[in-house]
Amino acid sequence: MKIPPFKEINRPTKDGFWINKKTKERYGGQYISPLLVPNLKRVEEGFFKAIKDKKFMKELNEELLTFIGVNTPIHFSPELTKLAGGEKKVGRIYLKRTDLHTNHSHKPVSAYSCCKLAKYLGFKKILTETGAFQNGRAVASACSALGLDLDIYVGANDAKKLAINKDISALHGANIIEVHDSTKSLLPAMAAALRAFQSEPDSMYVVGSVAGPHPYPLMVRTFASVIGRITKKQFKNLVGKDPSTIFCVCGGGSNMLSLQYPYLKTKNTKLYAVESSGKGLATGKHGATIAGGGKMGILLGMQSKVLLDGENIAESFTEASGLDFSSIGTEVAYLHSIGKIKFLTATDIEAKKTFMMMARKVGLICAIEACYVIHAAIKEIRRTGKPKQNHLIHLCGSGEPNVAQMMEFMKKNK
Amino acid sequence: MSKLNNLFKEAKKNKKKVFIGFVTSGDPNYASSKAIIKEMTKSCQIIEAGVSFNTSTSDSPIIMEANDRAINSGMNMSKTFKLIKEVKRETKTDTCFVLMTYLNPVIVYGIKKFINSCNSVGIAGVIIVDGSLNSPEEKILINGLSKKNIGYTKIISPTNSDKFIQQSIRNCKNSFLYITSYYGLTGSKNVNIENVKKMIKRVRKYSKEIPVSVGFGVKTPTQVKQVSRYADGVICGSSIVNKIAEGHKKRLKSKKLATFVSSYVKKLSKGIGR
Repeated sequence: MKIPPFKEINRPTKDGFWINKKTKERYGGQYISPLLVPNLKRVEEGFFKAIKDKKFMKELNEELLTFIGVNTPIHFSPELTKLAGGEKKVGRIYLKRTDLHTNHSHKPVSAYSCCKLAKYLGFKKILTETGAFQNGRAVASACSALGLDLDIYVGANDAKKLAINKDISALHGANIIEVHDSTKSLLPAMAAALRAFQSEPDSMYVVGSVAGPHPYPLMVRTFASVIGRITKKQFKNLVGKDPSTIFCVCGGGSNMLSLQYPYLKTKNTKLYAVESSGKGLATGKHGATIAGGGKMGILLGMQSKVLLDGENIAESFTEASGLDFSSIGTEVAYLHSIGKIKFLTATDIEAKKTFMMMARKVGLICAIEACYVIHAAIKEIRRTGKPKQNHLIHLCGSGEPNVAQMMEFMKKNK
Repeated sequence: MSKLNNLFKEAKKNKKKVFIGFVTSGDPNYASSKAIIKEMTKSCQIIEAGVSFNTSTSDSPIIMEANDRAINSGMNMSKTFKLIKEVKRETKTDTCFVLMTYLNPVIVYGIKKFINSCNSVGIAGVIIVDGSLNSPEEKILINGLSKKNIGYTKIISPTNSDKFIQQSIRNCKNSFLYITSYYGLTGSKNVNIENVKKMIKRVRKYSKEIPVSVGFGVKTPTQVKQVSRYADGVICGSSIVNKIAEGHKKRLKSKKLATFVSSYVKKLSKGIGR
């Protein structure tokens, strides 16, 4: 299958803001030190030039199809359908398998595209950040393939957790820099990468999510939406119509927008995002920026919803490193504010139980991040699903990096 | 006319340059920081007080550690205002106070409340590191602060375009322009005098009047002297904060820490050759 072309259906202002017309709230922007201005301008101008360059886009699409393998399957899941109440009651549940990409998650699509852009623009080195090392690994692989140097910034606590992907990134030749600032997680890792970008204007920063200063949220979702564009065509071929619901997990929102972006204007398709409620929303120890009542804030060069601790950014808590983020992508926060996306949550323990269920009943080892969405989706479909509906869940990563953590869980819960 | 405009005008008239010292307010804690700042008023014409933000994207590791020390000791925006108010009352100093921070602490505190607090405490100027040129927040700040005759400083660096420099001069009201002597993070390299000369030349193409102060990598009295040949003001930050960290590690507190830090600041300030 060919990659359907990109269509801009939710354009921000030229300064990179999505504005809620009713509340006048502005999401996005470029809140950065003046030292970063020229670097971002180079990326912004380069991005708009590249996506209009037919030769660049043709090459990129070919490599996404062959090297990343973006034509991953969508398949019916009889087991999940049964768990949600059965086809007669709730319709059918399908899985989009982006865990089958090269590097086993949805991240390689935007990671490879951004690195390809960097090469096109003449950058020699990439700077990136990572939480679950899904992005780190995806960028490391892309840099190897494209002959670029790479520094990966990772929170010191995350670096301990996900040894396999860290080792794979190192095998690809990435230089891994552990960040010991504040919460030692994804947020300070991203701040550190931005600081490095300020010091190294000859390197290009590649953001792992639809967050950060303009043009990153726009650029990452544009590149990543290849997943949704293919899905839309595939699903129609398979089922004959668009899905009734689409469920994606949401930390920063990259995997959500990658799949849901082409459906933003699709009537009769209801969009869901699932956040990690960690130990439970009531405990205050969670990573749910929207469901946990995040407020407007300005961080990492963007204005978005943020979990605040006084005038500072609060620490998020979740066992899924990929969801451990005290803010959320700007376009995602905007789409929530206009009522386009419904937010749900799942706790860490619910995700772990779902991981075991998927391993034992479905035969899949899913990334722990994906287990939050599977849990919440089944619950919601059981509650609201109708016969003849078709539901799509984004299985956005492989759980191989979570094996050690889950072995412990299995032993404790025998 | 604003306090900062007066200060630079006076200095120019007397053929003198302005020495600006930066500290993170509340570093390592309220009491010691207050003692340090009180002592620093003796040798600084401007004290730039940083209001910590735990997700800052432009501070060097030295300043990040200072931010952590201040935040861990319970420092925030309102305590910064309280500290400066007390310093001013207790020292009766002429030193101008400039707040340097990020937008998040300001919008959480409330932009209008922030402007009013600056006014009531007698803050001379404000620097917002991530206040972008076209953001609505910057416009509100510039308008509000201008009405109260409080300065608003913009930062420019050698990699910025001429257009950006022109816009920054326009947004820089009743205050000095902050030139970084290199691109990168504060205190990470040594001051680049060639850049300083070029940058001042570029600024002077668009404004003969605006006072320019230079920071980033100015760590010794000799460097202060070199920079003051070209700039109207010289900013020392990371090296002072480093001295606070050093004293804090030696377990020096309040007055002893203040003496330890301020004797260093005094040496630096003498470089300016007043």
